[in-house]
Amino acid sequence: MAIIHAHRLRKTYPSGSTHVVALDDVSFDVQQGDFVVIAGRSGSGKTTLLNMLGALDRPDSGTLKVAGQDLLSMGEAERANFRLWHIGFVFQAYNLIRVLTARENVAYVLQLQGKPSRERLKAADAWLAEVGLEGMGDRRPDQMSGGQQQRVAVARALAMSPSLVLADEPTANLDTHTGGELIRLMRRINEKNGTTFVIASHDPAVIDAAHTLIVMQDGRIEQSVCRD
Amino acid sequence: MSEVSLARSWGIYAVLGWRNLWLHPLRTFLTASALAVGIAALIFLSAMDDGWMQQIKRNFALTVTGHIQIHARGFEQTQRLRQHIQNPAPLMPLVRAQDGVKEVVLRVRASGLASSAGANAGVLVFGVEPEAEARLSRLSDFLVSGSWLRSDVQHEVLLGDGLADRLQVGLGDKVVLMAAAPDGEIASEVFRVRGLLHSGVLDIDDLFVIAPLPKVQQWLGLGQGVTDIVIRVTDDDRVTPVWNSLRSLLDGDSFEVLRWNDIDPMAEQWAEFADVYTWIILLIVIVVVLAEVLNTMLMSMHERVREFGLMMALGARAGHIFVMILWETIVLVALGAVAGFVLGGVLVFWFGREGIDLTRFAVAFSFMYMDPVVYPRFEWSSMARIIGASLVGALMAGILPALRAARLVPARALREL
Ligand SMILES: Nc1ncnc2c1ncn2[C@@H]1O[C@H](COP(=O)(O)OP(=O)(O)OP(=O)(O)O)[C@@H](O)[C@H]1O
Ligand SMILES: [Mg+2]
Repeated sequence: MAIIHAHRLRKTYPSGSTHVVALDDVSFDVQQGDFVVIAGRSGSGKTTLLNMLGALDRPDSGTLKVAGQDLLSMGEAERANFRLWHIGFVFQAYNLIRVLTARENVAYVLQLQGKPSRERLKAADAWLAEVGLEGMGDRRPDQMSGGQQQRVAVARALAMSPSLVLADEPTANLDTHTGGELIRLMRRINEKNGTTFVIASHDPAVIDAAHTLIVMQDGRIEQSVCRD
Repeated sequence: MSEVSLARSWGIYAVLGWRNLWLHPLRTFLTASALAVGIAALIFLSAMDDGWMQQIKRNFALTVTGHIQIHARGFEQTQRLRQHIQNPAPLMPLVRAQDGVKEVVLRVRASGLASSAGANAGVLVFGVEPEAEARLSRLSDFLVSGSWLRSDVQHEVLLGDGLADRLQVGLGDKVVLMAAAPDGEIASEVFRVRGLLHSGVLDIDDLFVIAPLPKVQQWLGLGQGVTDIVIRVTDDDRVTPVWNSLRSLLDGDSFEVLRWNDIDPMAEQWAEFADVYTWIILLIVIVVVLAEVLNTMLMSMHERVREFGLMMALGARAGHIFVMILWETIVLVALGAVAGFVLGGVLVFWFGREGIDLTRFAVAFSFMYMDPVVYPRFEWSSMARIIGASLVGALMAGILPALRAARLVPARALREL
């Protein structure tokens, strides 16, 4: 079953008197449970595409269905709700709310989802353990390494029970070893839980881990490879 | 669904707001301190005003008017001598029996004409009971030469000093008073000047003639009749209860019962002035809060654009961000307001005991019924208004940054670093 159905997405940004074409006629499908890596040089449109998929931004034209919902017909409030219930985000850096502890950062999204206090703290601890951060729940972001912060972000994304995890260059600020561990963690969860991942990255370790690889150039999909 | 989630998430935004304030302890401390000093100063000013107003009211009421007056029905409107209380004696025990009544005097009030050897002037004649009047009003305090009336002197009067100047008379000189008796007949009587008054209040100094009550009653053919029964109460807040009680006891067709502020239009003006002053203070409170807090909040918001983008990406609604920032602003203002409230309260209590001596400016103040020493008064209603104004200021200071934050486009906010 296709969890993402994108058809002829186009997005331009005004730039001086002309405009930049960030996405140019992008069409693709992603199957439920897939582990997709979007690769491409800087400026090729990876972040722009991920923002469309996560209902953070709107294309100028095209059609886009994610988790069975038509993202383009939604209002802002509906899109916020959609993100809350369907999308887990992991960004390149500054993923966490500075003044909250690791546990509170994970619990925050569960609170947004209206889960009762005890349940969300228990779930937060369980997910922190799952990503290898057992006992670190009380640390604030500035008391954790970059790799640990990214793991908290992964734990938070998974705690939401999302239809889809979107990660934008999650390893870019990490050293090779830590980055490798993070991507193996995501891959393991993908295999174990069947969670769909779409990851934008030009990190070779991430590209290696891809089940489906989409390569972008100048806002277009240059090639799409599925390894079975 | 969305409202439910905001309500359920309320606690986390309180926590977030609070912790974010302490992300920059120095900035928060400085803002709150500046706020505290401003609010303390305004609390003090407001308490000074309350102290003054109380003084003014008391002095004003007791200068001539008394706290409560009973007249024959309609007298206040017409000021005609025909509408007088023919026999006040039976009323007196009733009035004195009221809880909180300190002093009761009888008066005859009539307008007339005074003539001396050289000049004429319009006057206001007060027939008073000398001893009781000295206890009730401040009239006897204004004596600047000669002596106060006594029950056993008949043909002697006290004049305002301005009036004496106009009539070109001094102590011991003769004046002829003329006034219309209730039947309309003009009656005249000769008096000698026993003393001069100076109050600083123009009406008193330029118009007042004070004479012994029995003589005035006889001169104007009133018998036992009087125009005013004047009451002084023990304490300001007894005025209204006594007034209410008398109104219910006395026959409304024959009598009117009025409070000092019903009688003198001046009182109304004082109240209006006090209102304007209060509004100005409240306005300054709001401006102070805005000036101190708006800038701090905009700065703090600017630093956190990416974090707001992150929260929105996670599913927080624009309303959540709005509430968070507003709450943060309110907490910041509350910190300053509480500190300012304590500081201002201490100042008010201290000076409320000691008083602030303004003797140097006494001449300028005396005509405004002020005493040279002011006692700032802590009144909860005024304090509540100032706290309320701080809250309004906080909401105003918070709304702009909160709106800006809530209008952020997540995709763009996330690109900020
Ligand atoms: N808000 C914006 N305003 C103007 N141009 C933009 C904006 N966002 C992106 N772009 C442009 O759109 C194109 C695609 O940008 P995008 O960020 O999607 O690329 P990317 O593949 O994620 O690059 P990187 O690897 O550097 O993150 C670029 O040319 C970029 O300059
Ligand atoms: Mg990018």
